[in-house]
Amino acid sequence: MLVGVKFCGGCNPRYDRGKALEAIKKQSLEEAEFVIAEEGGEYDTLLVIGGCTNCCASYCQYKVRNDTIRMWDESHIDNTVQILKNGRNDT
Amino acid sequence: MALMTGAQYIESLKKLDTKVYLFGEEVKDWVDHPMIKPSIDCLAMTYELAQDPQYADLMTAKSNLTGKTVNRFSHLHQGTDDLIKKVKMQRLLGQKTASCFQRCVGMDAFNAVFSTTYETDKKYGTNYHERFTKFVEYIQENDLVVDGAMTDPKGDRGLAPSQQTDPDMFLRIVEKRADGIVVRGAKCHQTGSINSHEHLIMPTIAMTEADKSFAVSFAIQSDVPGIFMVYGRQSCDTRKMEENADIDLGNKKFGGQEALVVFDDVFIPNERVFLCEEYDFAGMMVERFAGYHRQSYGGCKVGVGDVIIGAAALAADYNGAHKASHIKDKLIEMTHLNETLYCCGIACSAEGYKTQAGNYQIDLLLANVCKQNVTRFPYEIVRLAEDIAGGLMVTMPSQKDFESDLKVGQSGKTIGEWCNKFYAAAPGVSTENRMRILRFLENICLGSSAVGYRTESMHGAGSPQAQRIMIARQGNINQKKELAKAIAGIKE
Repeated sequence: MLVGVKFCGGCNPRYDRGKALEAIKKQSLEEAEFVIAEEGGEYDTLLVIGGCTNCCASYCQYKVRNDTIRMWDESHIDNTVQILKNGRNDT
Repeated sequence: MALMTGAQYIESLKKLDTKVYLFGEEVKDWVDHPMIKPSIDCLAMTYELAQDPQYADLMTAKSNLTGKTVNRFSHLHQGTDDLIKKVKMQRLLGQKTASCFQRCVGMDAFNAVFSTTYETDKKYGTNYHERFTKFVEYIQENDLVVDGAMTDPKGDRGLAPSQQTDPDMFLRIVEKRADGIVVRGAKCHQTGSINSHEHLIMPTIAMTEADKSFAVSFAIQSDVPGIFMVYGRQSCDTRKMEENADIDLGNKKFGGQEALVVFDDVFIPNERVFLCEEYDFAGMMVERFAGYHRQSYGGCKVGVGDVIIGAAALAADYNGAHKASHIKDKLIEMTHLNETLYCCGIACSAEGYKTQAGNYQIDLLLANVCKQNVTRFPYEIVRLAEDIAGGLMVTMPSQKDFESDLKVGQSGKTIGEWCNKFYAAAPGVSTENRMRILRFLENICLGSSAVGYRTESMHGAGSPQAQRIMIARQGNINQKKELAKAIAGIKE
């Protein structure tokens, strides 16, 4: 599974978004390959990592075959990993 | 062309032949001058963060002109989303530098000149808008820094430009040729001007027909013949010249910059002229630029405020005073004030509207409310920071004293050992770290960074009275009177 990652702009993050991605990657190694999403790219899943509840990252410009997962809190890491493992989006 | 890195930007400055004067002499290697370098490194962060996927959503945008990804600082706002992201980007940069990062004036000037030239062309049949659009494409393609230059020296504030004893007090057209114009005058308080590749000049006030030779807008490279800059001094600036200066600077890496930019009979080719004697559009350009720039402060000063709040909280921790209820309350108050400024920046962005030219303008009333608050709240925020930090922030010995191995006194201790002993505070906290955070606060409250956080908050983008005039104009009092009449049952 190819996962495109889009960060918000990080103007006031409530947690370390980079470390959150590393934690997700570590727990999802078998299931997913993670790349930074680029316009024109096509991804099985898009992972939007927002730093706060506003989660204002723009992401409509990417082609996504399946789900878009949006997270905005450190507590979302476990659920995100579960979605990636099970393929169901509860966010 | 791809976006530049910070290092590439700095190298690009070295290729310029910009004439810079400081302490009565020309500075040849100004890019590496210790007093100027922090401001260059600060502006370089606008390039560096654009390269990082963790910040690119704010730092970059898709150009409506070319479809390519550009640095947001050279972007024409295409919706309220862009206006909001602009404020968030500025907050981010304030957090990363605790300084004035200088590039926003150019961005605010682009957007004002873009919409004003469109409406000028509509009335006069000129082609300023096409020329200006080409200029913006050039800036975007080459990822350049533009100094948005508005403020004239102004001379006697009671007189119009055409009435001044010395007409050079407002920059003006002194000659019109077939292929361009010649201009003479100066622009004051120019933030980041030395660090810029180009200058975008705008008039500073609304004008009448008598002032038409002063109604001029153009763009020109920093190093053309006739342009020179005199660097503006800042409080404690020569600390940057001290050998191995570090702790005593407070913010070693970053700083702001202002300069006097003089135009000594400079030729501007026609393709770079965007307003030439159409005096009735000078006021529109001023109002729109001022509006965008007043919005900007709801981002940049908030980011710096975030760092100040963090520093004050750390100072309380290091002093061992963090549990005191009054300390907690002061931090709450600082946060309240800081986020109120952010509220204003977001509000004027969310209420933005589309101009005739197609780019988006902020809500003028709310932008002026934003800046009016910025003329006050940073002063209270630093007052509370000084309160929390204590007097030590202005009485500490120098870094050299803390590192001195000169023995003094009868017990054989060195000056460094005495200083580290007496300035220790909370257990587990090094005296050096305590000094570092207090020096940061000293710098932002009354050192060189106070220029960008305090006085610039007061006067940048217009002094307090300028916003009160705009609030009066935009306040819609007559409609409010009708509301009151309706509620009170008044039928006149």
